[in-house]
Amino acid sequence: MNAWTSYRLQDFIPFTAEVYFRLLERMGETFWPLHLLTLTLGGATLALALRHRTRLACLLPAPLWAFVAVAFFFQRYAELNWAGGYVGYAFIAQAMLLILMALTGWSMDNAPRATNPPVAIGIAIALYGLIIMPLMAPLSGGPWYQAEVFGIHADPTAVTTLGLVLIMLRGVALWIAVIIPALWLLISGLTLQVLGSAGATTLFAVLVIALLGIVWKSIASKP
Amino acid sequence: MSYLIKHRITRRESLTLIGATLAATMLPSVPLFANTGGMHQKAFAGTDKTLPVIGMGTWRTFNVGSDPTLLDARTEVVKAFFEHGGGLIDSSPMYGSAPDVMGYALQQLGTPESLFSAEKVWSPAGGSAREQVAELKDRWTVHHFDLVQVHNLTDWREHLAALQEMKAEGVIGHVGITTSHGRRHDKVEQIMSSEDIDFVQLTYNITHREAENRLLPLAEERGIGVIANRPYDGGNLIKHLKQRNAALPEWANEECGCTTWADFLLKFIVSHPAITCAIPATTQVEHMRENMCAGHSLMPSADARQRMADYIESL
Repeated sequence: MNAWTSYRLQDFIPFTAEVYFRLLERMGETFWPLHLLTLTLGGATLALALRHRTRLACLLPAPLWAFVAVAFFFQRYAELNWAGGYVGYAFIAQAMLLILMALTGWSMDNAPRATNPPVAIGIAIALYGLIIMPLMAPLSGGPWYQAEVFGIHADPTAVTTLGLVLIMLRGVALWIAVIIPALWLLISGLTLQVLGSAGATTLFAVLVIALLGIVWKSIASKP
Repeated sequence: MSYLIKHRITRRESLTLIGATLAATMLPSVPLFANTGGMHQKAFAGTDKTLPVIGMGTWRTFNVGSDPTLLDARTEVVKAFFEHGGGLIDSSPMYGSAPDVMGYALQQLGTPESLFSAEKVWSPAGGSAREQVAELKDRWTVHHFDLVQVHNLTDWREHLAALQEMKAEGVIGHVGITTSHGRRHDKVEQIMSSEDIDFVQLTYNITHREAENRLLPLAEERGIGVIANRPYDGGNLIKHLKQRNAALPEWANEECGCTTWADFLLKFIVSHPAITCAIPATTQVEHMRENMCAGHSLMPSADARQRMADYIESL
């Protein structure tokens, strides 16, 4: 038997669904009511992006990516999965990238219009990450503390950021800014699939829609 | 006492007693498959030591991080394991926080004498084999591992040499290698033939019997203990049986004392002469009790084992 072809996805997920959802719940318990601040920051970022204050809008999510890197990945997720530390560093890298882009103004879309289809997709994805994702756990019968919130949990942080960069950026910068959020959503989606959670399908759908929006924006912005 | 006084032993009885005593002294001091009143035990690695036939795995199930609720829940599982006569617990640095969770449970429960602690060295965890063993001892809060295995044969030459040194120094009790999912059996066979190892851990269950061809006979020939991992094929066997609403056949109870599917599947494994123990993993006390029951009652004969395999294949 070929050693590599014999590996299956579940061989790389070293925890059970119970443990993973308890981890999300513990994040909620530990940091409440910080959720209110992070959601406000997310809403403000979306508003600033649509009011053409894109550099400031690019800067605001950066500390939240750093916070998720430390509080979620380094301090908790890495206890369960030895690869968690590496993902934490990737989240730190995303925070630095957002700061760098905010400071330099590199490839900013300074006048995004909500009627522009890729921007509309970005708005829909950002709103999904900010509003719908936190409601999914409570609406499906889970405790409120299991609600996944932008700036506290990794998935809504990545989803909302995908939407925001689709609004704020263009060209190569847009593609670079989506690498880490998209890769995390892929990993998270595969994890949820192994754990038997319906959330996997939703994350894959968001990822596909976001990538369609990015391709659309890239093609549309070519001279 | 009155019986002894009144009943004089005849010459025929004396000869029978002497003969029986002589025969008993010629038997191995520990039978290969003994039921010492509780869990069935098997001798291992050519020694007179024995292990309970049902052990415990920790892959996925014991990786709960620092969650206080889940730490206490897993401690209850360990408690049930020892209460039912459990011995070998197997973990790895690859299993996230599982070694720390074992340490927590042992701190809460104390370390019973029956514990046979089995760990692994695994290259991606970083550090030398010696460093990994030292760190894992701290995590388990134990002073000694009874067995340390090279996980999935990663850098097996270097690690095995280091483990042999540690065994010679008395730092660890026994050495072994592991594989799973039927991977690299050729290499495993080569190591079993050429190296002085005490244990091999491999996947063996009623639907994955590749090890019967070469590895299990070789283990018997070389006096190597065998730990069977994935006894339920990662939970798939039980899940499929439940999905099919499959009924436990009546003969399974009559011939092997099986009352649950856990009994059926585990008894099939541990009744193979080469298998020392199986290591099912669970998060639930009730399932742990079911697992442990499999080690306590009647074991299937060779004919019954074949019937069991045929029955599963027919489903």
